[in-house]
Amino acid sequence: MEIFETKVPGIGVRYEFTTEAGDRAGVVIRRDGTRDIVIYDPQDADAAIGTIELSEGDAAAIAELLGGTTITVRLEQLRHDVEGLAIDWVVMPETGGLTDLTIADGKIRTRTSASVVAVVRGDHAVPGPGPSFEFLAGDQVLVMGDADAVAEATRILTG
Amino acid sequence: MRSEVLIASVGMPLAAPPSVGDVLIELGLVLLVLALLGRLAQRIGISSIPLYLLGGLALGKGGIIPLRAGDDFIAVGAEIGVVLLLLLLGLEYSPEDLRDGLRSTWRAGVVDVAANALPGFAAGLILGWTPTASLLLAGITYISSSGIIARLLSDMDRIGNRETPVILSLLVMEDVITAFVLPVIAVLLVGATLAQGALAAGVAIGVVLLAFYVAFRLSARVSRAIHSRSRELLLLTVLGITFLVAGLADAVQVSAAVGAFLLGVTLSGQVADEVRSLLPPFRDVFGGLFFVFFGMQVDPRTLPPVLLPAIALACVGVASKVATGYIAAAIAGIGRAGRWRAGYALVPRGEFSIVIAGLGVAAGVEPRLGPFAAAYVLALAVAGPILMRATDRRRAP
Repeated sequence: MEIFETKVPGIGVRYEFTTEAGDRAGVVIRRDGTRDIVIYDPQDADAAIGTIELSEGDAAAIAELLGGTTITVRLEQLRHDVEGLAIDWVVMPETGGLTDLTIADGKIRTRTSASVVAVVRGDHAVPGPGPSFEFLAGDQVLVMGDADAVAEATRILTG
Repeated sequence: MRSEVLIASVGMPLAAPPSVGDVLIELGLVLLVLALLGRLAQRIGISSIPLYLLGGLALGKGGIIPLRAGDDFIAVGAEIGVVLLLLLLGLEYSPEDLRDGLRSTWRAGVVDVAANALPGFAAGLILGWTPTASLLLAGITYISSSGIIARLLSDMDRIGNRETPVILSLLVMEDVITAFVLPVIAVLLVGATLAQGALAAGVAIGVVLLAFYVAFRLSARVSRAIHSRSRELLLLTVLGITFLVAGLADAVQVSAAVGAFLLGVTLSGQVADEVRSLLPPFRDVFGGLFFVFFGMQVDPRTLPPVLLPAIALACVGVASKVATGYIAAAIAGIGRAGRWRAGYALVPRGEFSIVIAGLGVAAGVEPRLGPFAAAYVLALAVAGPILMRATDRRRAP
């Protein structure tokens, strides 16, 4: 999806895009942090036919609803920002590795210095899972640390 | 608008003291009238500026209930109102907005000046006004009301529309041009000789350029120095600096309003965000006083003779702004419906036309300027929003 960015003087930035289904929509990010979701008129490409005003909290909640991908995008950003920080998504295998075992069993933190930051299971996320958290096959595990540590942790997780 | 006015006004109560009670009573009445008019404007869904002007006409000399005792205080309040109006206008735009605006809309900006300032200037000359007074009239017909327009765009859910950045960029452009022209007008109003005038205008434009330089280069540093966690301290600091800068600007003939605008542009980041949330109530109170004060200075009996030319010029003003917006939107690649929307959105004139007229009225440059500007702004501040709504399909009857 292509996203076009336009500055709106005195207000903020507007991003507009066309979805795969052909709907045109946009997001206005205002300087005070509130956001508007804008739906464009199919007959008049320039006019909004509907606007949904979101507070910062509303926007965060909707971002969660719209799926884990937002987390990935944000982390992608983070990776650019912080040098020496590696982040990886690891998908738990059917068997082997730490599948059906807990975080404590793997001793990832002790052995590699990398951390399990979050686990996405199906359509919900577990941020900051505790030591007794049990991995299941198909879990997406977010690992963070320096590059070597993340590689080592991946080996432990997937066996 | 001149510093003498301020000094005279501050000194006045000592010289010829109306009792404190009288001043407070009249000030209270004025504010209550403002409140009532504001409520009425909200009820019927129009901008409060034309109603404030009408209120001023009723309370001023030759009005229904002429007020006297509070005059001096209202004059100072009005001056503060102008300064705060322009400070917040400057705060709306970051230096980047100004730069991007200049870069992307300069062609439309040229059309804007040619189509909207020239008719005003010509009309002034035709009416037999001096070139200086005609130049003021050009400013009055040129500058759209960012206050009214921004409010309407937001009320009508047009912030996300694709033509909206075009409209806003043009408003930015108008403000920048006004920032350069106002000091020159201020110099002309003093009536200096050509050489003196050229020198003063050079100094004035130098100050404006310096301020823009500071805005672009040192904005972040200035903002950091001013910032404070305490709202009270931040408010005191910002108001203190604002009045000081505005006063100094006035002293070097740049006009207090321009000084405040440039200061607003210079402030950015967190300070700007906080000030934007702190100051609007102050601006609305003192800005209201400003519009009333302007109305008070206009004797309603001087209105009828200028009514016809003012309305004729207002019709030209509608046509020229619609054309400007249409062309600007076309340049930006907006579709037909959006071009008309952009055109009608630019029609309202308001606070800044009155600010410019106020400069001329204070300098006594042309007796018909005040009533003419009042009639012109009354017409377009009311007609503009109505025309704008008419282009809004969804709200059309």
